[in-house]
Amino acid sequence: MENKTKELPILIELDEETRSEQLNRAAAWFNNVLLTQTSFRQLLEDTVPKIKEPHIKEYLAELAVKAKEHEEKIHELFTIIGREPSDIRTTLGSVMGKARQALGDFIAATGSAKGPWQDLHQLYLSNYNSMGALSVAEQLGLALGIPSIVDIAFVLVSEKSTAQLLLQESVLEMCSMSILYHERF
Amino acid sequence: MATDSAKQHKNRGFKISKKRLQAKKAASDGKLELPTPARPLVDTADVVVPEGYTVEPVMAGLSFPTDVTFSDDGTVFVSEGGSSWPTRPYMPARVIALHPNGETEAINMNVQAGPRGITWRDGELYMVLKGGYHGQVVKYNLQSGELKVLIDQIPSGGWHEPGGPIFGPDGLMYFGHGSVSQQGVSLPQGFTVDLAKHPTAKDVPGEDVTLTGNNVRSRDPRLPYPFMTETGAFKPFGVPAKKGEVVKGELFCNTGVWRSKPDGTDVELLAWGIRNPFGMAINEAGDLYVSDNDFEEKGERAVANDPDRIWHIKNARQPFGSVSKPDWYGFPDICGDGLPVNHEKHLPGRGTPAELLLKNPPEWAGPAAFLEQPHSCMCRMDFSRSDKFGHRGELFVAEWGTLAPLNSPREEDLDHGFRVVRVDVEKGTAEPFMHNKKMGPASSFGSGGIERPVSCKFSPDGESLYVLDFGHVKVTTGPMLAFAHTGVLWKITKK
Repeated sequence: MENKTKELPILIELDEETRSEQLNRAAAWFNNVLLTQTSFRQLLEDTVPKIKEPHIKEYLAELAVKAKEHEEKIHELFTIIGREPSDIRTTLGSVMGKARQALGDFIAATGSAKGPWQDLHQLYLSNYNSMGALSVAEQLGLALGIPSIVDIAFVLVSEKSTAQLLLQESVLEMCSMSILYHERF
Repeated sequence: MATDSAKQHKNRGFKISKKRLQAKKAASDGKLELPTPARPLVDTADVVVPEGYTVEPVMAGLSFPTDVTFSDDGTVFVSEGGSSWPTRPYMPARVIALHPNGETEAINMNVQAGPRGITWRDGELYMVLKGGYHGQVVKYNLQSGELKVLIDQIPSGGWHEPGGPIFGPDGLMYFGHGSVSQQGVSLPQGFTVDLAKHPTAKDVPGEDVTLTGNNVRSRDPRLPYPFMTETGAFKPFGVPAKKGEVVKGELFCNTGVWRSKPDGTDVELLAWGIRNPFGMAINEAGDLYVSDNDFEEKGERAVANDPDRIWHIKNARQPFGSVSKPDWYGFPDICGDGLPVNHEKHLPGRGTPAELLLKNPPEWAGPAAFLEQPHSCMCRMDFSRSDKFGHRGELFVAEWGTLAPLNSPREEDLDHGFRVVRVDVEKGTAEPFMHNKKMGPASSFGSGGIERPVSCKFSPDGESLYVLDFGHVKVTTGPMLAFAHTGVLWKITKK
């Protein structure tokens, strides 16, 4: 059997210039992933001390440990494609986490909610936001043909999806205490 | 004939245009090193073809390719499926043209999902498209840029694929479409994407059928909590059927195979009950054959050991316009071997055993012309018509390969497919023609060989077989992930 190439094969969108440009665009999105996750982690760390109910406090404390791990994992996405994360985006993420707390306080004041429930509600939205950004990163890994991006993003999205169920349960269970009874928990 | 389904959801806003393509020639001595870690190497030395044949890569870096065809001037066309298997991520839905002078261009379209089958006839590119609630057959004139939608009424929006279009020696156009449901009842098997985009999609029979009322109970992932729901045959997800209920057959059903004039008029339903007639080919004698894929051994209507198969569509031998009743090939109740899905041979080792959905079903049009190992996933195919290439009259079939362990718990199913076979449709036998040194996809043992053949077509002179390789797909018991830019077009020639 002889397997020799007679004509030069054509590479579709795999030349160095096209590839490099697409990796730069992916890196720009990974900065968004980092920003949203940093924002979520900051808000989570600030919320844990406000919660008195022992079970929810424990749930959130465990999530905070995971959130920190997830943030570190996101840095690996940049390494895989040979790019560097933006320090500005990380700082901006922390600021956004604080801003979400203020937004939660405002919503609570106008919505007759009391106590730390509004922070839980903002966590619920913030985790969804960062989970969505990570899901996009996973798709970019598939589109670029890079399994290691997918391997990281898939695990993180799965863990954040589980966290989302927990946050949803906490928010929905405790809303009556906050809104109808005006009680802290 | 406008059907109820057609009125319900009309596709609109189709756009298509030629665009520049980022393509470059690569130096190669049969080996290509690629920047995609999912497929870092393409190496002809790892591919086995029979003595006396050579194999070479023609294109690499393709994203979810679905079919290949050729124009009279020697241009090679490859369709890339957009949202394909699975549907994420959507890559450009387009047809890549490689002209004889080596230049390339892309024919892009704004269709989600994208093109699934292509063929060239009389200066125009015919395509079957998946996307939305209806499968479409269209033709595109490369010179004028004019697009004509020929057929826009085939119930789609679910799991399976459109087949064809191909043209017979009678000058007629033949096309098909698989089932919306994966297992005979619309369920959330499509990773919920089908339900998200097409929640009212359903199977439509090709003739009137009476239902047993055996509904399937499953969780409903559309709801905030995945409560339980019941679904019946030929119903959208979450809608149960009643015992004795009659569902009217329609010309534009799914699981169907049709023919029409080349302009899409005078459509005639030849057959239905074919789960996924993705591959279609007509031999020199004028006989039509279609490929079909077996039931899966998982989920709420699981079926074990159903063979992949090639059907001979006998009605295609009848004079055009004379078929008053389509033949029925078994879906959703009969396996490829002619046994019912609830026969003890087909009881699943995993999942809920299937129950029969049709009361007093039509007469079965089997047996199959050829039965293949379960989950080989036979796809597009072509007959050899060249003495120089050899095996004239035999059917060459691309086998995409198994989705085990996702769709089967059986160890023996793990390496089925991942090759091209040549089938003697008269004897019902087959021999491997192109495969890796070790059976299975190249990525499973780190070689530069083939991954998942999705189509194979002979060049216009019949002397070369082009094999389209879908690329790398990672399959587990849960997720299935496909990587873009890993598809390859191979060419096999007799020395």
